[in-house]
Amino acid sequence: MDGLIELVPLPYTDAVVALGALVLGVVSGVLGTLAVLRERSLVGDALSHAALPGVCLAFLFTGAKDPAALLAGAACAGLVAAACMVGIERGGRIRADAAIGVVLSSAFSVGIVLLTAIQNRPDADQAGLDRYLFGQAAGLSADDVLVTGLIGLAGLTLVAVGFRALKTTLFDPAFAAAAGLRVRALELGMTALLVIAVLVGIRMVGAILMVAMLVAPGVAARQLADRLVTLLPLAGAIGAAVGVTGALLSSSAHVPTGPVIALVAFAVVAAALAFSPGRGVVWRAMRLTHDRRRALADGVLVDLETALHAGPPPTVAELRALTARPSRELRRGLRLLRGAGLVDRAGDRLLLTEAGAEAAGAQLARRDDWSLWLEHGARLELPDAREPDPRDLAGSIGADAVARLRALA
Amino acid sequence: MSPADWQIMVTAGLVATACGLLGPFLVLRRVALLGDAVSHAVLPGIVATFLLFETRAPLPVIGGAAVFAVLCVLLIDALRSTGLVKADAAIGLVFPALFSLGVLGVHQWTANLHLDLDATIYGEIAFVPLDPWIVAGIELPRAAWTMLAVVALDLALVVALWKELKLTSFDPEFARSVLISPRVLSRLLLVAVAITAVTAFESVGAILVVTLLIVPAATARLLTDRLWLTVALAVAVGWVAAIGGYATAVRFDASIAGAMGVVAAVCFTLAFAGRSLVLARKRTLQSAS
Repeated sequence: MDGLIELVPLPYTDAVVALGALVLGVVSGVLGTLAVLRERSLVGDALSHAALPGVCLAFLFTGAKDPAALLAGAACAGLVAAACMVGIERGGRIRADAAIGVVLSSAFSVGIVLLTAIQNRPDADQAGLDRYLFGQAAGLSADDVLVTGLIGLAGLTLVAVGFRALKTTLFDPAFAAAAGLRVRALELGMTALLVIAVLVGIRMVGAILMVAMLVAPGVAARQLADRLVTLLPLAGAIGAAVGVTGALLSSSAHVPTGPVIALVAFAVVAAALAFSPGRGVVWRAMRLTHDRRRALADGVLVDLETALHAGPPPTVAELRALTARPSRELRRGLRLLRGAGLVDRAGDRLLLTEAGAEAAGAQLARRDDWSLWLEHGARLELPDAREPDPRDLAGSIGADAVARLRALA
Repeated sequence: MSPADWQIMVTAGLVATACGLLGPFLVLRRVALLGDAVSHAVLPGIVATFLLFETRAPLPVIGGAAVFAVLCVLLIDALRSTGLVKADAAIGLVFPALFSLGVLGVHQWTANLHLDLDATIYGEIAFVPLDPWIVAGIELPRAAWTMLAVVALDLALVVALWKELKLTSFDPEFARSVLISPRVLSRLLLVAVAITAVTAFESVGAILVVTLLIVPAATARLLTDRLWLTVALAVAVGWVAAIGGYATAVRFDASIAGAMGVVAAVCFTLAFAGRSLVLARKRTLQSAS
């Protein structure tokens, strides 16, 4: 392990933290994505709150702050909490988010009661027990990283081995059950894996920031990938990148690691939500503007062609009278068309260029095809029943289908 | 029973009333964990108030916290309305980020100053009677008066917009088609939750508020289909938790907020077990006939 850490060109403690963040990022990215896809993103939140009663009980039984015992207590409490969540949902009526909330608040209330019970005892060696929920990445040792890595590896192997079953359970639980998969066992298994990831993460980044580590990589990756088989590795990679970036930033700025990682994660998600191709908010807005412009330009082009067909080249005012478009819209459309070299001016009169005439002809032909489709499309036999794109009929149903449509008319 | 005893119970009961009025709507809209999110997201507001005004007095702290609580719920709403993120994931993205800002602020600027976070955000219900206010000749704890105002606000909102809230909770598409905007109502509700939560945190501590927003509402959901009955039952379960929890806490010398939470959890467990039993009996009767 130490040999690996010495390979990283950083001071020893920074290298340990960065490596730890990398491992945690991969594990929580992959396991968290499974939770995000099942709309149970906040399971991690509940599990980390449920650690408190576990830690308290472990302390009450052993009477000492032995880290291994506390961890075991937290793990048991986490598993019980996970089982409770699945049980409450199974009872019907209560949906995932409320089940998570009920378990979270009940477990934490029990934890507080236990904490006061411990504080009332005379042999108070309990100071700092409640601090267990706040992570300290700086206090991380190479052994911690190794243990995290091994646990994470076990979890990832399980995901890889059970990939098909997991996928079926995730997207179609009813079918999975009908196909003989043990849906509930798998659900419990997924949540148990999450318990492990959360326990590992709490020690490093703290209970609340662990939520960010679980949710953010999955959400960011979901914007970029549609298939589970690419989504999971991508989420792992994003988690790792976020973890390492956060760790490096925090060590160079001398601030706590957890919050920086959480903020980096949020920034990555925000960027993915804004700019992801095909889905992102900014991307969609740009496409909408583009489509609107194109529709306007096409419309004005056809108007002008119609006007030219009917009489001498019109002025802008005459064209406006013919088309009943608002004048600002008309001017914008003309500006776009002149920019594309489709419309020219002779004095104050408007003319189509050669390219413009061609484009207008093609546009009219498309419109004719579309009216034919609306009128006779039902009689056309097509291999699939998808609705064609009105702007591009030939592209949607194929050129020979359009030819048959014309023949039908 | 001393006056302090019933003052604590009344304050907790008022918190339970405010939470019981709003909680069922949160559970219906799948944002049950909003209270938990707000409880963490207010941290930067408290730090900022402390930095700007150098005070830990309740009113400025509530104000600063409220700004970030509202910011938190509106961010969650905005993320959700992009259609790219589900409600639960939106919550899980926003509150850790805001909390992180707060932690960094504490680390950066207030480490040497005396900002005891536990005492500032997490009010302690046991200390409620120590700060009495006399209004119109009646002496009640300050926390009880502020909660009374919040209860009045929530009650006004729920009563005035009952039909709209109900409709947008169950059928947002139909609501839109009859010109009731689900987004506006969702935001109103979320802002009300933010303000209620912040005020209540300051009086009785965060975890009790989080618990009272979720557990009584979930318990009521188990028992009835009717919305008005759900709300009424949620308030009732909240009062049971407040009074029963206080009695338990006194009896066993335990944390008051913790004991109230445990009693609420017991109510939920009983309702869950009762419902399961009834359903199981119905099923055997059906298969017998």
